[in-house]
Amino acid sequence: MAIGVKVVRRPDSVSYLRATLKGMTLTFGHLFRRKVTMQYPEEKSEPGWSLSPRWRGTHRMLTDEQGRAKCVACGLCPQICPANCIKLVPGEDEDGHRYPLIYEIDEFRCVFCGYCQEVCPEEAIHVGVHYENAEYDRGRFVYDLERLCAQTHPVSSLWDPADPRGE
Amino acid sequence: MSEHELVSLTIEGVDVSVPKGTLLIEAAKQAGVVVPHYCYHPGLPVAGVCRMCLVEVEKTPKLQIACATPVAPGMVVRVMSPPALEARKGVLEFLLINHPLDCPICDQAGECELQDYVFQEGRARTRYGSFAKRFNPVEDFGGDVLYVPNRCILCTRCVRFMDHVADDSILNVSERGDRALIGIHGDRALDHPWAGNVVDLCPVGSLISKDFLHKARAWELDRTASVCTGCSQGCNVTLDTRQSAVVRARPRPNPDVNRYFMCDYGRGQYRWMNGGDRIEAPLLAERDGLVATDWDHALARAAQLIKGAAGRTVVLASARASTEALFLARRLAGGSSVTGAFRVEYVPGEAPLSGVPNLALRSERAPNATGARVLGYTEAFDAAVRTASEAGLVLVLDEPLHGVPANTLAGAGMVIYLGTVLPEAARVARVVLPIANVAEEDGTFVNRDRRAQRYFQAKATPGMARPAWWVLGELLAELGRGGPFATAAEAFDLLSREDPSFAGLSYATLGTQGVGLPAARPPVVVPA
Repeated sequence: MAIGVKVVRRPDSVSYLRATLKGMTLTFGHLFRRKVTMQYPEEKSEPGWSLSPRWRGTHRMLTDEQGRAKCVACGLCPQICPANCIKLVPGEDEDGHRYPLIYEIDEFRCVFCGYCQEVCPEEAIHVGVHYENAEYDRGRFVYDLERLCAQTHPVSSLWDPADPRGE
Repeated sequence: MSEHELVSLTIEGVDVSVPKGTLLIEAAKQAGVVVPHYCYHPGLPVAGVCRMCLVEVEKTPKLQIACATPVAPGMVVRVMSPPALEARKGVLEFLLINHPLDCPICDQAGECELQDYVFQEGRARTRYGSFAKRFNPVEDFGGDVLYVPNRCILCTRCVRFMDHVADDSILNVSERGDRALIGIHGDRALDHPWAGNVVDLCPVGSLISKDFLHKARAWELDRTASVCTGCSQGCNVTLDTRQSAVVRARPRPNPDVNRYFMCDYGRGQYRWMNGGDRIEAPLLAERDGLVATDWDHALARAAQLIKGAAGRTVVLASARASTEALFLARRLAGGSSVTGAFRVEYVPGEAPLSGVPNLALRSERAPNATGARVLGYTEAFDAAVRTASEAGLVLVLDEPLHGVPANTLAGAGMVIYLGTVLPEAARVARVVLPIANVAEEDGTFVNRDRRAQRYFQAKATPGMARPAWWVLGELLAELGRGGPFATAAEAFDLLSREDPSFAGLSYATLGTQGVGLPAARPPVVVPA
């Protein structure tokens, strides 16, 4: 016999009734305790269970007073993106301002690292404090500029090394 | 004598010996130190206006500008000492007072010397935040050049280039004090054929190319050493590619050919390299016209046709083909009854750059016409086409056959067409083999001064296209006449063994700057 193997002998006859009753007592005992289940989606984020302000969810593009995207198509976010999920084609408008002709984020590819927000010199692209992203169509997960600008959820404050605890 | 007189000095603790009269900034390069600078450029006269290259020279009361101080024996120079760093910090602070800091929308970002040095210095805040910045609108200088005055640091490189190198003084420094900006002659546009160089010379994003505007960011580009295909001058260029498309060409310094410059015509030559009208698969003539096939079948059929060819062989080559391809095509045609011809577009009048000897946009608008001549091709193209219509075998090498009527080659025994695009006149070919263009292969060109210069592959070939040296090497191997070649260097080695004009040369000896071919075949010396 191999070393260290302990053989446990099974009792010849056993009643499972006692063990079952013990288990059921625990099960039904929960009926009388405080409920921990949240009735999602009817109920969302009760106190003490809200998203962190540092949550990194699907993106949002901030806009200026005229409703135009703040993005100037500098190309830093596609460069820094480790998942290569940002597509950017720069263009020039009638006033000679540089702006993104095409700005698309593939949220399926995105790893939600938040580097795009961190690198953005114009504070235009942000990761959002948001998690409800279900769609009926895979193609809808490529967010174009219009959709990114139309998002209204709060944006992430990211982690600040100077203020590591967010105080 | 003075040329060989050396001066010894110490720069940053490194002892260097440089020829007498060398400027400190150049001597520092030999010591492995790049002194930060804006107005100094080795291809322009010294101005000493930017004050960025201040260095500490022992026993001088004040800091000296490295770009205008010649070396002296026993000099002890400190580039990174605290007084020098402090002085340059002050200069940078002044430069940034009115700079818009619009790097996110500036085309120069990523290759901007102001950005680099400011980042290196590391100051994150300005002390002039409460003052409004001077603002001037963007000006169109004409030609390909836009001027953004707000970004300008007034190094005057552009002014000096137009004054002393292009010899067309239409730029100056207008206004004075902090209102100063680069001005242009009221009735003139910056349309000198070499004016595009001011964009490269500008160390910041002040003079920018309209053609390249917003096209790509500097850090997205892959850079490849190449040779300009615009004319027979053979200017060394760098091709900047992004996602397998060439987006611009810039001059690559070569003191013996183009120094630091290239002409605007050459700058525009990158466009045809991205053409989408390419042949992407080998084609064989079947009953219902040309049918796509794979390389094995196409090469086997081509070799079989060449073996069975009888009568005259005509090679119609392009002066844009590499020297290797021209040589191999001629070798493939073999035998003595071979006519090899090419043609070149001649545009009357050269556009010289007066400040550089022997540099001009030449009227001969092909990069490798000299190479073709050295290899025995003639310019009797029309006669060759007439011969071709009765020849046994016609080999076309990347010649677009413009103006050759569609049925001209129909009378030939058989036509084998190696090319990038398929013109109407080539549809009579029995085999069509797709080849790479200059941006897609390694190769060499021979410029008008018989200088063999290498170019390198900058982007991927479309579809199944392969470099011409590979295709011709495979065909030669089928016929047992050399090849196949794994690299362009092997093809060139065969050329250097077989052709005395290229004797002793190899890709290693050519390097990235090229080597001149012997002017003529060396006379045979018979020992007495």
